[in-house]
Amino acid sequence: MKSISLYVDQDTFLTRLHSFSKLFYIAAAIAIPLIGGGFHLYVLSLLLSFCLIAAGKIGKRILPLIAFSFTIILTVFLIHGLFNQKNEQILFTLGPLIFYREGLLYALKIGLNILNMLLAFAVLVLTTRPAVLVDDLEQAGFSPRFGYMICSVFQIIPQMMGTMNTILDAQRSRGMETEGNILVRARAFLPLISPVVNSSLINTRERAIALEVRGFDSKEKKTFLQDRKLRGADKRFIAFMAALLFASLIWRIRVWL
Amino acid sequence: MKQLFKTKWNAACFVLIPACIGINYLGKLFASVLKLPLWLDSIGTCIGGILGGPVIGGICGAANNLIFGFTTGDSITLVYALTSLGIGAAAGIMARLGHMKSLPGALLTACVTGLTAVVISTPLNIIFWGGTTGNIWGDAVFAWSQASGLPVFLGSFLDEVVVDVPDKFITLLIVFAIVKGLPRKLTSLYDIDDEVVSLD
Repeated sequence: MKSISLYVDQDTFLTRLHSFSKLFYIAAAIAIPLIGGGFHLYVLSLLLSFCLIAAGKIGKRILPLIAFSFTIILTVFLIHGLFNQKNEQILFTLGPLIFYREGLLYALKIGLNILNMLLAFAVLVLTTRPAVLVDDLEQAGFSPRFGYMICSVFQIIPQMMGTMNTILDAQRSRGMETEGNILVRARAFLPLISPVVNSSLINTRERAIALEVRGFDSKEKKTFLQDRKLRGADKRFIAFMAALLFASLIWRIRVWL
Repeated sequence: MKQLFKTKWNAACFVLIPACIGINYLGKLFASVLKLPLWLDSIGTCIGGILGGPVIGGICGAANNLIFGFTTGDSITLVYALTSLGIGAAAGIMARLGHMKSLPGALLTACVTGLTAVVISTPLNIIFWGGTTGNIWGDAVFAWSQASGLPVFLGSFLDEVVVDVPDKFITLLIVFAIVKGLPRKLTSLYDIDDEVVSLD
Protein backbone atom coordinates (compact mmCIF):
# COMPACT_ATOMS: atom_id res chain seq x y z
CA MET A 1 0.00 0.00 0.00
CA LYS A 2 1.31 3.42 -0.95
CA SER A 3 1.52 5.87 1.91
CA ILE A 4 0.49 9.49 1.40
CA SER A 5 3.22 10.70 3.72
CA LEU A 6 6.43 11.93 2.09
CA TYR A 7 8.65 10.69 4.92
CA VAL A 8 11.97 9.27 3.73
CA ASP A 9 13.23 6.50 5.99
CA GLN A 10 16.93 7.14 6.66
CA ASP A 11 19.21 7.95 9.58
CA THR A 12 20.39 11.55 9.37
CA PHE A 13 20.84 14.53 11.66
CA LEU A 14 17.36 15.77 10.74
CA THR A 15 15.49 12.50 11.31
CA ARG A 16 17.07 12.22 14.77
CA LEU A 17 16.02 15.76 15.68
CA HIS A 18 12.91 16.03 17.86
CA SER A 19 9.84 17.02 15.84
CA PHE A 20 9.29 20.08 18.07
CA SER A 21 12.69 21.45 17.03
CA LYS A 22 11.61 21.14 13.41
CA LEU A 23 8.24 22.78 14.15
CA PHE A 24 10.13 25.63 15.79
CA TYR A 25 12.33 25.82 12.72
CA ILE A 26 9.26 26.28 10.48
CA ALA A 27 7.91 29.05 12.69
CA ALA A 28 11.29 30.80 12.81
CA ALA A 29 12.05 30.43 9.09
CA ILE A 30 8.70 31.94 8.15
CA ALA A 31 8.80 34.66 10.81
CA ILE A 32 12.36 35.93 10.27
CA PRO A 33 11.77 37.53 6.82
CA LEU A 34 8.32 38.78 7.86
CA ILE A 35 9.67 40.45 11.00
CA GLY A 36 12.88 41.77 9.48
CA GLY A 37 11.45 42.80 6.12
CA GLY A 38 13.61 43.01 3.02
CA PHE A 39 14.72 40.54 0.39
CA HIS A 40 18.07 39.53 1.87
CA LEU A 41 16.34 37.94 4.87
CA TYR A 42 14.26 35.78 2.51
CA VAL A 43 17.51 34.72 0.87
CA LEU A 44 19.01 33.97 4.29
CA SER A 45 15.99 31.87 5.25
CA LEU A 46 16.06 30.01 1.95
CA LEU A 47 19.80 29.35 2.28
CA LEU A 48 19.26 28.00 5.77
CA SER A 49 16.55 25.62 4.50
CA PHE A 50 18.75 24.52 1.61
CA CYS A 51 21.62 23.78 4.01
CA LEU A 52 19.33 21.70 6.25
CA ILE A 53 17.87 19.89 3.23
CA ALA A 54 21.36 19.10 1.95
CA ALA A 55 22.43 17.88 5.42
CA GLY A 56 19.29 15.73 5.60
CA LYS A 57 19.99 14.16 2.16
CA ILE A 58 16.49 14.98 0.90
CA GLY A 59 17.54 17.28 -1.96
CA LYS A 60 15.98 15.12 -4.67
CA ARG A 61 12.65 14.87 -2.88
CA ILE A 62 12.00 18.61 -2.78
CA LEU A 63 12.04 18.98 -6.57
CA PRO A 64 8.43 17.76 -7.10
CA LEU A 65 7.28 20.10 -4.31
CA ILE A 66 8.94 23.09 -5.98
CA ALA A 67 7.52 22.04 -9.38
CA PHE A 68 4.06 21.95 -7.80
CA SER A 69 4.27 25.50 -6.51
CA PHE A 70 5.84 26.72 -9.74
CA THR A 71 2.53 27.23 -11.57
CA ILE A 72 1.18 29.35 -8.72
CA ILE A 73 4.31 31.48 -8.58
CA LEU A 74 4.16 31.86 -12.38
CA THR A 75 0.53 33.13 -12.31
CA VAL A 76 1.44 35.58 -9.55
CA PHE A 77 4.33 36.91 -11.66
CA LEU A 78 2.20 37.16 -14.81
CA ILE A 79 -0.77 38.87 -13.18
CA HIS A 80 1.14 41.34 -11.04
CA GLY A 81 3.86 41.98 -13.62
CA LEU A 82 1.24 42.88 -16.21
CA PHE A 83 -1.69 44.30 -14.26
CA ASN A 84 -0.63 45.43 -10.77
CA GLN A 85 -2.24 48.80 -10.11
CA LYS A 86 0.93 50.42 -8.79
CA ASN A 87 2.68 49.64 -12.09
CA GLU A 88 4.46 52.68 -13.52
CA GLN A 89 7.99 51.89 -14.60
CA ILE A 90 8.31 49.58 -17.61
CA LEU A 91 10.98 46.93 -17.07
CA PHE A 92 10.86 44.98 -20.34
CA THR A 93 8.44 44.00 -23.09
CA LEU A 94 7.78 40.52 -24.43
CA GLY A 95 5.92 40.85 -27.73
CA PRO A 96 2.61 42.55 -26.87
CA LEU A 97 3.11 42.03 -23.10
CA ILE A 98 4.56 44.85 -21.04
CA PHE A 99 6.10 43.92 -17.66
CA TYR A 100 6.38 46.56 -14.98
CA ARG A 101 8.97 46.92 -12.24
CA GLU A 102 6.61 47.51 -9.28
CA GLY A 103 4.41 44.51 -10.02
CA LEU A 104 7.36 42.21 -10.55
CA LEU A 105 8.99 43.28 -7.28
CA TYR A 106 5.70 42.60 -5.47
CA ALA A 107 5.42 39.22 -7.19
CA LEU A 108 9.04 38.44 -6.28
CA LYS A 109 8.25 39.01 -2.62
CA ILE A 110 5.20 36.70 -2.78
CA GLY A 111 7.15 34.10 -4.76
CA LEU A 112 10.00 34.10 -2.24
CA ASN A 113 7.50 33.82 0.60
CA ILE A 114 5.81 30.78 -0.99
CA LEU A 115 9.16 29.12 -1.68
CA ASN A 116 10.38 29.87 1.83
CA MET A 117 7.26 28.33 3.42
CA LEU A 118 7.49 25.31 1.15
CA LEU A 119 11.13 24.56 1.95
CA ALA A 120 10.70 25.14 5.68
CA PHE A 121 7.82 22.65 5.68
CA ALA A 122 9.82 20.22 3.55
CA VAL A 123 12.43 20.07 6.33
CA LEU A 124 9.77 18.74 8.72
CA VAL A 125 7.67 16.71 6.33
CA LEU A 126 10.42 14.71 4.64
CA THR A 127 12.22 13.80 7.85
CA THR A 128 9.43 13.08 10.35
CA ARG A 129 7.25 10.00 10.45
CA PRO A 130 3.64 11.17 11.01
CA ALA A 131 3.17 8.63 13.81
CA VAL A 132 6.23 10.01 15.62
CA LEU A 133 4.93 13.56 15.28
CA VAL A 134 1.60 12.51 16.79
CA ASP A 135 3.41 10.62 19.56
CA ASP A 136 5.48 13.69 20.43
CA LEU A 137 2.36 15.85 20.48
CA GLU A 138 0.57 13.39 22.76
CA GLN A 139 3.52 13.29 25.16
CA ALA A 140 3.32 17.07 25.36
CA GLY A 141 -0.33 16.81 26.41
CA PHE A 142 -2.23 16.67 23.09
CA SER A 143 -5.49 14.70 23.35
CA PRO A 144 -4.89 11.00 22.48
CA ARG A 145 -8.32 10.85 20.83
CA PHE A 146 -7.29 13.50 18.33
CA GLY A 147 -3.97 11.69 18.03
CA TYR A 148 -5.82 8.54 17.00
CA MET A 149 -7.80 10.60 14.50
CA ILE A 150 -4.65 11.85 12.79
CA CYS A 151 -2.96 8.43 12.72
CA SER A 152 -6.00 6.72 11.28
CA VAL A 153 -6.14 9.14 8.34
CA PHE A 154 -2.90 7.51 7.16
CA GLN A 155 -4.44 4.06 7.35
CA ILE A 156 -7.77 4.99 5.82
CA ILE A 157 -6.55 6.82 2.73
CA PRO A 158 -4.48 3.96 1.20
CA GLN A 159 -7.39 1.64 1.98
CA MET A 160 -9.83 3.96 0.21
CA MET A 161 -7.47 4.31 -2.76
CA GLY A 162 -7.54 0.54 -3.07
CA THR A 163 -11.35 0.55 -3.06
CA MET A 164 -11.36 3.37 -5.56
CA ASN A 165 -9.19 1.45 -8.03
CA THR A 166 -11.44 -1.59 -7.69
CA ILE A 167 -14.50 0.54 -8.39
CA LEU A 168 -12.84 2.33 -11.30
CA ASP A 169 -12.08 -1.07 -12.88
CA ALA A 170 -15.54 -2.44 -12.10
CA GLN A 171 -17.34 0.53 -13.63
CA ARG A 172 -15.09 0.53 -16.69
CA SER A 173 -15.71 -3.15 -17.25
CA ARG A 174 -19.43 -2.38 -17.22
CA GLY A 175 -18.83 0.04 -20.06
CA MET A 176 -18.73 3.37 -18.24
CA GLU A 177 -16.65 5.95 -20.06
CA THR A 178 -14.14 7.86 -17.96
CA GLU A 179 -12.34 9.58 -20.81
CA GLY A 180 -13.68 11.98 -23.42
CA ASN A 181 -15.09 15.48 -23.35
CA ILE A 182 -15.85 17.32 -20.13
CA LEU A 183 -19.50 16.23 -20.01
CA VAL A 184 -18.53 12.53 -20.19
CA ARG A 185 -15.92 12.98 -17.50
CA ALA A 186 -18.27 14.97 -15.26
CA ARG A 187 -20.95 12.31 -15.64
CA ALA A 188 -18.46 9.65 -14.56
CA PHE A 189 -17.78 11.42 -11.27
CA LEU A 190 -20.87 10.41 -9.30
CA PRO A 191 -20.89 6.65 -10.10
CA LEU A 192 -17.21 6.56 -9.13
CA ILE A 193 -17.26 8.53 -5.91
CA SER A 194 -20.54 7.45 -4.35
CA PRO A 195 -19.72 3.71 -3.86
CA VAL A 196 -16.38 4.58 -2.24
CA VAL A 197 -17.91 7.20 0.01
CA ASN A 198 -20.81 4.98 0.98
CA SER A 199 -18.64 1.98 1.78
CA SER A 200 -16.17 4.05 3.80
CA LEU A 201 -18.98 5.67 5.79
CA ILE A 202 -20.59 2.32 6.46
CA ASN A 203 -17.20 0.96 7.56
CA THR A 204 -16.97 3.68 10.20
CA ARG A 205 -19.72 1.98 12.16
CA GLU A 206 -17.73 -1.22 12.53
CA ARG A 207 -14.58 0.74 13.28
CA ALA A 208 -16.40 2.65 16.03
CA ILE A 209 -17.64 -0.57 17.63
CA ALA A 210 -14.15 -2.10 17.42
CA LEU A 211 -12.68 0.97 19.14
CA GLU A 212 -15.27 1.06 21.89
CA VAL A 213 -14.66 -2.62 22.65
CA ARG A 214 -10.96 -1.79 23.10
CA GLY A 215 -11.66 0.99 25.59
CA PHE A 216 -11.38 4.08 23.37
CA ASP A 217 -13.58 6.12 25.69
CA SER A 218 -11.57 5.15 28.77
CA LYS A 219 -10.34 8.10 30.81
CA GLU A 220 -7.20 6.31 32.14
CA LYS A 221 -3.91 8.11 31.53
CA LYS A 222 -2.07 6.59 28.57
CA THR A 223 1.57 5.46 28.71
CA PHE A 224 4.08 5.50 25.86
CA LEU A 225 6.32 2.90 24.29
CA GLN A 226 9.10 5.41 23.70
CA ASP A 227 9.91 8.31 25.94
CA ARG A 228 11.06 11.11 23.68
CA LYS A 229 12.55 14.22 25.22
CA LEU A 230 14.40 17.23 23.84
CA ARG A 231 18.10 16.32 23.82
CA GLY A 232 21.26 18.43 23.71
CA ALA A 233 21.28 18.72 19.91
CA ASP A 234 17.64 19.83 19.97
CA LYS A 235 18.28 22.49 22.57
CA ARG A 236 21.29 23.85 20.66
CA PHE A 237 19.24 23.93 17.44
CA ILE A 238 16.32 25.75 19.06
CA ALA A 239 18.69 28.21 20.76
CA PHE A 240 20.34 28.95 17.39
CA MET A 241 16.99 29.61 15.69
CA ALA A 242 15.79 31.73 18.61
CA ALA A 243 18.97 33.81 18.35
CA LEU A 244 18.33 34.40 14.63
CA LEU A 245 14.74 35.35 15.38
CA PHE A 246 15.91 37.81 18.03
CA ALA A 247 18.50 39.26 15.64
CA SER A 248 15.82 39.88 13.00
CA LEU A 249 13.69 41.64 15.61
CA ILE A 250 16.59 43.90 16.58
CA TRP A 251 17.22 44.54 12.88
CA ARG A 252 13.64 45.72 12.46
CA ILE A 253 13.76 47.97 15.52
CA ARG A 254 17.04 49.47 14.31
CA VAL A 255 15.47 50.27 10.92
CA TRP A 256 12.57 51.99 12.68
CA LEU A 257 14.88 54.13 14.82
CA MET B 1 -30.27 27.19 19.83
CA LYS B 2 -28.55 24.86 22.25
CA GLN B 3 -29.25 21.94 19.94
CA LEU B 4 -27.51 23.71 17.07
CA PHE B 5 -23.98 23.14 18.33
CA LYS B 6 -24.62 20.04 20.39
CA THR B 7 -21.96 17.45 19.68
CA LYS B 8 -21.56 13.84 20.70
CA TRP B 9 -17.96 13.12 21.63
CA ASN B 10 -18.09 9.36 21.16
CA ALA B 11 -15.94 6.92 19.21
CA ALA B 12 -18.28 7.13 16.22
CA CYS B 13 -17.46 10.82 15.76
CA PHE B 14 -13.73 10.25 16.09
CA VAL B 15 -13.98 7.61 13.36
CA LEU B 16 -16.13 9.81 11.14
CA ILE B 17 -13.50 12.56 10.96
CA PRO B 18 -10.70 10.47 9.35
CA ALA B 19 -13.23 8.91 6.96
CA CYS B 20 -14.34 12.39 5.91
CA ILE B 21 -10.74 13.51 5.42
CA GLY B 22 -10.25 10.45 3.22
CA ILE B 23 -13.34 11.38 1.21
CA ASN B 24 -11.99 14.91 0.70
CA TYR B 25 -8.76 13.42 -0.58
CA LEU B 26 -10.61 11.10 -2.97
CA GLY B 27 -12.82 13.91 -4.29
CA LYS B 28 -9.75 15.97 -5.08
CA LEU B 29 -8.08 12.94 -6.65
CA PHE B 30 -11.07 12.07 -8.83
CA ALA B 31 -11.41 15.70 -9.92
CA SER B 32 -7.78 15.64 -11.05
CA VAL B 33 -8.01 12.16 -12.64
CA LEU B 34 -11.09 13.23 -14.62
CA LYS B 35 -9.47 16.65 -15.24
CA LEU B 36 -12.49 18.60 -14.00
CA PRO B 37 -11.97 22.35 -13.55
CA LEU B 38 -13.22 22.20 -9.95
CA TRP B 39 -11.64 21.35 -6.59
CA LEU B 40 -14.32 19.07 -5.12
CA ASP B 41 -12.13 18.75 -2.04
CA SER B 42 -14.77 19.50 0.56
CA ILE B 43 -17.23 16.64 0.01
CA GLY B 44 -16.06 14.90 3.18
CA THR B 45 -16.06 18.10 5.23
CA CYS B 46 -19.70 18.72 4.28
CA ILE B 47 -20.69 15.12 5.06
CA GLY B 48 -18.93 15.44 8.43
CA GLY B 49 -20.81 18.65 9.15
CA ILE B 50 -24.16 17.18 8.15
CA LEU B 51 -23.80 13.94 10.12
CA GLY B 52 -21.88 15.14 13.18
CA GLY B 53 -22.98 18.77 13.44
CA PRO B 54 -21.15 22.08 13.00
CA VAL B 55 -18.41 21.33 15.54
CA ILE B 56 -17.43 18.02 13.94
CA GLY B 57 -17.70 19.63 10.50
CA GLY B 58 -15.36 22.42 11.54
CA ILE B 59 -12.87 19.95 13.03
CA CYS B 60 -13.05 17.84 9.85
CA GLY B 61 -12.22 20.84 7.70
CA ALA B 62 -9.44 22.25 9.83
CA ALA B 63 -7.88 18.81 10.52
CA ASN B 64 -8.02 18.00 6.81
CA ASN B 65 -5.89 20.97 5.82
CA LEU B 66 -3.59 20.75 8.83
CA ILE B 67 -2.87 17.06 8.29
CA PHE B 68 -2.17 17.46 4.59
CA GLY B 69 -0.12 20.57 5.23
CA PHE B 70 2.07 18.88 7.81
CA THR B 71 2.57 15.56 6.03
CA THR B 72 2.46 16.11 2.30
CA GLY B 73 4.40 19.37 2.42
CA ASP B 74 1.58 21.29 0.78
CA SER B 75 1.95 24.47 2.80
CA ILE B 76 -0.49 26.21 0.43
CA THR B 77 -3.30 24.00 1.75
CA LEU B 78 -2.35 24.93 5.29
CA VAL B 79 -3.31 28.56 4.72
CA TYR B 80 -6.86 27.55 3.88
CA ALA B 81 -7.49 25.58 7.10
CA LEU B 82 -9.68 28.46 8.26
CA THR B 83 -11.75 28.33 5.08
CA SER B 84 -12.33 24.61 5.48
CA LEU B 85 -13.33 25.12 9.10
CA GLY B 86 -15.90 27.66 7.94
CA ILE B 87 -17.25 25.35 5.23
CA GLY B 88 -17.70 22.44 7.65
CA ALA B 89 -19.34 24.61 10.29
CA ALA B 90 -21.65 26.28 7.75
CA ALA B 91 -22.76 22.93 6.30
CA GLY B 92 -23.33 21.62 9.83
CA ILE B 93 -25.40 24.60 10.92
CA MET B 94 -27.56 24.47 7.79
CA ALA B 95 -28.14 20.73 8.27
CA ARG B 96 -29.10 21.23 11.94
CA LEU B 97 -31.57 23.89 10.83
CA GLY B 98 -33.15 21.18 8.70
CA HIS B 99 -32.16 22.42 5.25
CA MET B 100 -30.53 19.24 3.99
CA LYS B 101 -33.79 17.30 3.80
CA SER B 102 -34.88 18.60 0.39
CA LEU B 103 -33.21 19.64 -2.85
CA PRO B 104 -34.03 23.39 -2.57
CA GLY B 105 -32.65 23.28 0.98
CA ALA B 106 -29.47 21.65 -0.31
CA LEU B 107 -29.09 24.42 -2.89
CA LEU B 108 -29.54 27.04 -0.18
CA THR B 109 -26.88 25.24 1.89
CA ALA B 110 -24.60 25.34 -1.16
CA CYS B 111 -25.06 29.12 -1.39
CA VAL B 112 -24.30 29.61 2.29
CA THR B 113 -21.19 27.37 2.33
CA GLY B 114 -19.95 28.86 -0.94
CA LEU B 115 -20.27 32.41 0.36
CA THR B 116 -18.68 31.45 3.70
CA ALA B 117 -15.73 30.05 1.78
CA VAL B 118 -15.47 33.18 -0.35
CA VAL B 119 -15.62 35.55 2.64
CA ILE B 120 -12.90 33.66 4.53
CA SER B 121 -10.66 32.93 1.53
CA THR B 122 -10.54 36.41 0.02
CA PRO B 123 -8.44 38.05 2.78
CA LEU B 124 -6.17 34.97 2.85
CA ASN B 125 -5.64 35.21 -0.92
CA ILE B 126 -4.72 38.86 -0.65
CA ILE B 127 -2.37 38.40 2.31
CA PHE B 128 -0.52 35.39 0.94
CA TRP B 129 -0.55 35.57 -2.83
CA GLY B 130 -1.61 39.11 -3.60
CA GLY B 131 -5.12 38.07 -4.68
CA THR B 132 -4.80 35.03 -6.97
CA THR B 133 -6.33 31.63 -6.16
CA GLY B 134 -4.34 29.24 -8.36
CA ASN B 135 -7.41 28.24 -10.40
CA ILE B 136 -7.16 29.18 -14.08
CA TRP B 137 -10.72 30.50 -14.48
CA GLY B 138 -10.67 32.49 -11.27
CA ASP B 139 -7.27 33.96 -12.00
CA ALA B 140 -8.40 34.99 -15.48
CA VAL B 141 -11.20 36.98 -13.81
CA PHE B 142 -8.68 38.48 -11.39
CA ALA B 143 -6.38 39.48 -14.26
CA TRP B 144 -9.33 41.08 -16.06
CA SER B 145 -10.43 42.99 -12.93
CA GLN B 146 -6.91 44.30 -12.34
CA ALA B 147 -6.54 45.31 -15.97
CA SER B 148 -9.78 47.28 -15.79
CA GLY B 149 -8.70 49.05 -12.62
CA LEU B 150 -10.93 47.49 -9.96
CA PRO B 151 -9.51 47.39 -6.41
CA VAL B 152 -7.52 44.25 -5.48
CA PHE B 153 -10.06 43.32 -2.82
CA LEU B 154 -12.99 43.30 -5.26
CA GLY B 155 -10.95 41.49 -7.91
CA SER B 156 -9.93 38.76 -5.51
CA PHE B 157 -13.50 38.51 -4.23
CA LEU B 158 -14.80 37.95 -7.78
CA ASP B 159 -11.95 35.49 -8.41
CA GLU B 160 -13.16 33.43 -5.42
CA VAL B 161 -16.86 33.73 -6.28
CA VAL B 162 -16.29 32.39 -9.79
CA VAL B 163 -14.47 29.32 -8.47
CA ASP B 164 -15.93 28.63 -5.04
CA VAL B 165 -19.67 29.05 -5.55
CA PRO B 166 -20.01 26.61 -8.52
CA ASP B 167 -17.64 24.24 -6.74
CA LYS B 168 -19.80 24.23 -3.60
CA PHE B 169 -22.99 23.80 -5.65
CA ILE B 170 -21.65 20.62 -7.25
CA THR B 171 -20.20 19.46 -3.92
CA LEU B 172 -23.46 19.91 -2.03
CA LEU B 173 -25.46 18.20 -4.78
CA ILE B 174 -23.15 15.18 -4.57
CA VAL B 175 -23.34 15.26 -0.77
CA PHE B 176 -27.12 15.47 -0.90
CA ALA B 177 -27.28 12.40 -3.17
CA ILE B 178 -24.90 10.47 -0.90
CA VAL B 179 -26.47 11.40 2.45
CA LYS B 180 -29.94 10.51 1.15
CA GLY B 181 -28.68 7.01 0.37
CA LEU B 182 -27.04 6.31 3.74
CA PRO B 183 -28.62 3.53 5.79
CA ARG B 184 -30.57 4.50 8.93
CA LYS B 185 -28.34 2.12 10.90
CA LEU B 186 -25.45 4.49 10.27
CA THR B 187 -27.15 7.89 10.55
CA SER B 188 -28.72 6.92 13.88
CA LEU B 189 -25.19 6.81 15.37
CA TYR B 190 -24.97 10.57 14.92
CA ASP B 191 -28.56 11.44 15.81
CA ILE B 192 -28.59 14.01 18.63
CA ASP B 193 -32.22 13.50 19.60
CA ASP B 194 -31.94 9.82 20.46
CA GLU B 195 -32.91 8.54 23.91
CA VAL B 196 -31.99 5.38 25.72
CA VAL B 197 -35.17 3.54 26.66
CA SER B 198 -35.11 0.66 29.13
CA LEU B 199 -37.66 -2.09 28.95
CA ASP B 200 -38.56 -2.69 32.58
